[in-house]
Amino acid sequence: MIQLHNVSMAYQQDASALDNINLKIGKGEFVFLTGPSGAGKTTLLRLLYGALSPSRGQVLIDGQNVSRLPASQIPYLRRSVGVVFQDFKLLQNRTVFENVAITLEVLGWGRADIGKKVMHILKQMGIESKFNLITQRLSGGEQQRVALARALVNDPKILLADEPTGNLDDANKNQILSIFREANVRGTTVVVATHDRRLIEQSHKRIVMLNKGEIVEQMEKEKNRDDQAI
Amino acid sequence: MNRWKKKKTETIKPFKRPTLAGDGFGGRIGYFVTRAVTNIRQNVFVNVVTIGTITLALLIVSLFLLVFVNLESAAENWSERVQVTVYFDKELTSPEQNALRGKILALPGARSVAYVSRDEALKRFKSRLRGQETVLEGVRPEVLPTSFEISLKRANRDTLGVESFVSALKRIPGITEVQYGEEWVRRFNSFLNFARLLGGLLGGFLVVAVIFIVSNTIKLTIYARRDELEVMSLVGATSFFIKAPFLLEGLMQGMAGSIISIALLFGLYEGFLHNAGSFLTFNPVTSGLGFLPLEYIGGIFLAGALLGFIGSLTSLKRFINV
Repeated sequence: MIQLHNVSMAYQQDASALDNINLKIGKGEFVFLTGPSGAGKTTLLRLLYGALSPSRGQVLIDGQNVSRLPASQIPYLRRSVGVVFQDFKLLQNRTVFENVAITLEVLGWGRADIGKKVMHILKQMGIESKFNLITQRLSGGEQQRVALARALVNDPKILLADEPTGNLDDANKNQILSIFREANVRGTTVVVATHDRRLIEQSHKRIVMLNKGEIVEQMEKEKNRDDQAI
Repeated sequence: MNRWKKKKTETIKPFKRPTLAGDGFGGRIGYFVTRAVTNIRQNVFVNVVTIGTITLALLIVSLFLLVFVNLESAAENWSERVQVTVYFDKELTSPEQNALRGKILALPGARSVAYVSRDEALKRFKSRLRGQETVLEGVRPEVLPTSFEISLKRANRDTLGVESFVSALKRIPGITEVQYGEEWVRRFNSFLNFARLLGGLLGGFLVVAVIFIVSNTIKLTIYARRDELEVMSLVGATSFFIKAPFLLEGLMQGMAGSIISIALLFGLYEGFLHNAGSFLTFNPVTSGLGFLPLEYIGGIFLAGALLGFIGSLTSLKRFINV
């Protein structure tokens, strides 16, 4: 589903954010991307939804070479990739409903269908009662779930999340994590970037560890139960 | 390219995308219009400022246009005086008159021809010397020449047009003496050209300034909503889909601004007509001052719509690739 071949990314000429990354993520996989701040997690995610083009190497999503995609085709790539941003990127003066509906409006859905689908996903997230509230007035955990709902409402093939549990308490973290798992069970490939060790420890998924723009370690948790001291 | 398009439909299929009420081109337009109207209602203040700016800008330009149009029509009236006169030593007989008249009218540029007989010439002479008729005592009509007075079509009233007309006129047998006030025609035309050049320059500067101001105002309204542009782009909206409501909004602002400015201009014009008599030496109501012709009003309306549209388009360019 996702393939990176010798990908390097440099924002400035001398400082590279990613260095010669080779990574394959299969369909339906659940991968944690981890590592200290500045390791290149966010840069890697941005390559995957076409916000950046790599300086060198190739990024393939579902067989499509993203680095060679013309700008006019990027929107179609993004329709099959749901993204949860570190800062949520919600429209602060709009309601929860409007924030989620925007994904479907862009696809040209009719009003009635949007209504049904949006309320359905809000119910899954447990925030259907807040649908008419301005997002500004929600708590951090609620805003996070609105962002998730917006990313998942059109059943994307790939879900990318950048520090989705940044400021959340444990109860909220677990809820968010279980939403990821559910999406994964329904067939969505999930990539979560986090430096939250506990989040990783609680799940038994593949981990890709980045440091200074390089992959320093990859492990399958299920196979390495004894080796949990990462 | 084709391969990707195939993929694209595959991508959408699993969503079980239903046939939609708002689908297709017409449905999209409905969505864009709704979106634009919602945007205007959610940002009333910014929109009032933008429409106000467009209104003032167009008002300045159209006021300038109004003055210019009236000067042009005054010039048009003056240019009626550009006349070519053909003199004869003898009285022409009626068939001679008709034959010559036909030949002259056949020339390109001739509008009308009037024969002035000796009696008529004397009558005019007398009326011009009213109060001093004694000077003319003993003058008999035979002393005066007869003439054809030829007025020209609008296009032939400039220096070149008059000269080419006169040279063609002189080729008609029987016509020898032609006068047309060369100096006056030349001066009048060079004045007119100068006025047009000045008007064109001033108008051009005004238009450029107006475009600049309006596009900057619109830029502000779009800047205020750059988050929305970014989010739409991130969830996979094509750039056309993001732009369309903003372009429509610009179009609506431009049309509203132009309608208001035309209304204001008309108010100013009427006010001037009915109040300026007290401080002007002529009565503006009877002097033939006119409002802008319909084509110009239509032009201002279109210009307003275009101004809003292009202002939005150029402003969007800066924010669309977030």
